[in-house]
Amino acid sequence: MVVYSFYIFDRHTECVYVKSWMPPQVPGTPAPVLSTGSDNAKLIFGTVFSLRNMVRKLGGDDDAFISYRTGQYKLHFYETPANLRFVMITDTGSASMRNVLHQIYINLWVEYVVKNPLAPVEHKGGAGVNNELFELGLDQFIRGLM
Amino acid sequence: MAASKASRIGEEIWKTRIDKVNAELVTLTYGTIVAQLCKDFEDDYPEVNRQLDKMGYNIGLRLIEDYLAKSNTMKRCSNFRETADMISRVGFKIFLNITPQVTNWTADNNSFSLVFDENPFADFVELPDDGRAQNELWYSNILCGVLRGALEMVQMQVEAHFISDVLRGNDTTEMRVTLIRYIDDELPPEDD
Repeated sequence: MVVYSFYIFDRHTECVYVKSWMPPQVPGTPAPVLSTGSDNAKLIFGTVFSLRNMVRKLGGDDDAFISYRTGQYKLHFYETPANLRFVMITDTGSASMRNVLHQIYINLWVEYVVKNPLAPVEHKGGAGVNNELFELGLDQFIRGLM
Repeated sequence: MAASKASRIGEEIWKTRIDKVNAELVTLTYGTIVAQLCKDFEDDYPEVNRQLDKMGYNIGLRLIEDYLAKSNTMKRCSNFRETADMISRVGFKIFLNITPQVTNWTADNNSFSLVFDENPFADFVELPDDGRAQNELWYSNILCGVLRGALEMVQMQVEAHFISDVLRGNDTTEMRVTLIRYIDDELPPEDD
């Protein structure tokens, strides 16, 4: 399984964290289709937000949007009751990552971001999220999956 | 979710997933905070109430995440009655090891009371004997702020205040919690 990239969006719809695990590009192969520019983050948010709303409309308020798949990648989505949204993009063959995203929330976000007394409550521009413990923990966790 | 199930969840989390601290340490620390506020604001008790509420609010904004993580909550409560049960039997249980009674519902199910049979903050406490504290200071007012902050993060705007306190000589300690509205999802900004 390969994880390409990972995003966190706060309840104000702002992207507060992006990380990419793109393998180094081999000359002669087509450029990776999944870049992580800020426009992409906006596009991704727009997509998952619309999908989530549509899913709820069709399936009822308790239904949850979990993932979608294209020919190139699979996008996984997890939203906490406090409207924090986790998005992970992996290769098409990976199993459901919902549990993985939930674990990231519980073991990394809550422990290293929320419980850091010096981190602000609102993470404008990613403030307080990109601390060393969170970065290291996330990287280790994701590499452990691959 | 039935109240008994909420109780079971609260009990389970309290036993297995919570780091405990000495209760007297909590009581004394909280007492010190209130005493210091009274000193700083020169016994302006309404102002002390406001400051406690504000401190609680800031705690609540973060505490909700710990609550959601520890309780493994994946989805919202389906109605305000369920919310009330979860507050009492899971929230208060796991953080303070108490389960205040949920009671005195209004007919529209938007307002209830939490009656505290025990309150770890108020052990050993006597309010100042200056003739005003008994009528003006809500000693445990930080709890109102915590609820307000925590529920705001899960999109419920509530109003919470104490209406009686055994420290003031009332028979019970009772907090009134009223749902003002459910907050809508924030939408992404329009692209130019």
